[in-house]
Amino acid sequence: MKITETIDIRFPKTLAEALRLQAGEKTRGQLLAGGTDLMVQWASGAPTPERATSIWNLPELDAIEIFDDFIEVGAGVTHAFLRDAAPIHRHLPALVAAAATIGAAQIQARGTLGGNAANASPAGDTAPALLVSGGSVLLASRSGTRTVPLDRFWTAYRRIDAQPDEIIVAFRLPRKGSARERFRKIGTRRAQAISKVMAASRIRIVKGRVTSAAIALGSIAPTPVRLSAVESLLVGQKLTPALIDEAEQLAQATVQPIDDIRSSADYRRWASGRLVRDALENL
Amino acid sequence: MSTLKRTWKVNGQTVPIRAPAGRRLLDVLRDDLGLVGTKESCGEGECGACTVIVDNEPVVSCLIPAGQLPDGTAILTIEGIEKTRIGRLIQRAFLECGAVQCGFCIPGMVVSSYALLVKNPRPSTPAIREGLAGNLCRCTGYTKIIQAVKLAAARLPKRK
Ligand SMILES: Cc1cc2nc3c(=O)[nH]c(=O)nc-3n(C[C@H](O)[C@H](O)[C@H](O)COP(=O)(O)OP(=O)(O)OC[C@H]3O[C@@H](n4cnc5c(N)ncnc54)[C@H](O)[C@@H]3O)c2cc1C
Ligand code: FES
Ligand code: FES
Repeated sequence: MKITETIDIRFPKTLAEALRLQAGEKTRGQLLAGGTDLMVQWASGAPTPERATSIWNLPELDAIEIFDDFIEVGAGVTHAFLRDAAPIHRHLPALVAAAATIGAAQIQARGTLGGNAANASPAGDTAPALLVSGGSVLLASRSGTRTVPLDRFWTAYRRIDAQPDEIIVAFRLPRKGSARERFRKIGTRRAQAISKVMAASRIRIVKGRVTSAAIALGSIAPTPVRLSAVESLLVGQKLTPALIDEAEQLAQATVQPIDDIRSSADYRRWASGRLVRDALENL
Repeated sequence: MSTLKRTWKVNGQTVPIRAPAGRRLLDVLRDDLGLVGTKESCGEGECGACTVIVDNEPVVSCLIPAGQLPDGTAILTIEGIEKTRIGRLIQRAFLECGAVQCGFCIPGMVVSSYALLVKNPRPSTPAIREGLAGNLCRCTGYTKIIQAVKLAAARLPKRK
């Protein structure tokens, strides 16, 4: 018998039913969405839970809604759905670009945005794109819903601000409006490769001056990070070559990169600066 | 551990499924239904050998617990694809281009090629590379596989 067959997986048909299961300590199970992280972890020997609660295909988690100034993306939306959802491409281009680089077609068809965020891998590709939107996460439990700003959602290495009885329902992401966005990922190969460093940016320029700047990096630190020092340097300024040089150096000076099997801290420090330069030179 | 009772449409046929909810789709196909054209290599979603089509999307069957597929799910495996016109065109092109060496990756390659050509009948070379990026081959170096998909695309009927 294969290891995953030992898990008692329940298949609630509605969010309310799932929240009810998660509310009790004796009925709660590990949340299972597309399984592209969990099934791999279980297959490669991580301890399996006694129970799991499948939230794949829950209708309440599957929608993308366009509002006047933000987009609400359900936690169960797959990377393939984001990649193909043409009406949102101009509002959240960095997120769409990030989703389109995850794994390859087979993984995109099953991997969800909620799973990518909750898995909280430093290398999760959608995190920097979510961060630069300045949006928030909607969590539900049987006792109600709550909103957490994305820049406080990833609290430590592989930790998120979510209680054991909570399910991520959606992401509320401000539309980019007149700002420009960019997403770049550096890995060993284009497909199926875990990122060494990736960057997302959302920068608004009015009459030649930067009026707002959000730049985030992933795979650099234990959590995805915003480069607030670089952002403050840019706001109010004209994007001259000298300012871009300064931004690149400041990024390199302020990141606190990790060293791991995928890349060295030195390389990541250098690449962080280059990605900031790339974002500013390609607005 | 709960036992599933489901009916899926596998290669166009209605099939009753009885299995533990956590059994991988791959094992249901190979062990329960005898559809051994679908291969297992890594068992971790990386190699694409186990690719099948579920509700029109290519997926890796080693990462899907059977319980997540409701009644009426449409599954297409290599055994079903080789009975379709596009599937036969792809197979013939693979043979003619010498795109097959040991052959272990090939069912997955054919399934991904089929999924690609159904969505995009005139794929560019980058689009073919992207469509097959989730399928690894240790033998061929991919060049002939990409040529084969091009050849199959060129032979597709002009309109469907
Ligand atoms: C071959 C391969 C390549 C990959 N390539 C990439 C890549 O390039 N970039 C990348 O970022 N990732 C990659 N991944 C990882 C994975 O595909 C993504 O992280 C995916 O988005 C996970 O989503 P899922 O629905 O499959 O999550 P699951 O595996 O179902 O769950 C992951 C975690 O999130 C929790 N969870 C899921 N949904 C919720 C929710 N709504 N509320 C609360 N908790 C929840 C689960 O309990 C679990 O802890 C790859 C995986 C594979 C197998
Ligand atoms: S066996 Fe499923 S992807 Fe390798
Ligand atoms: S032909 Fe041998 S792995 Fe592809």
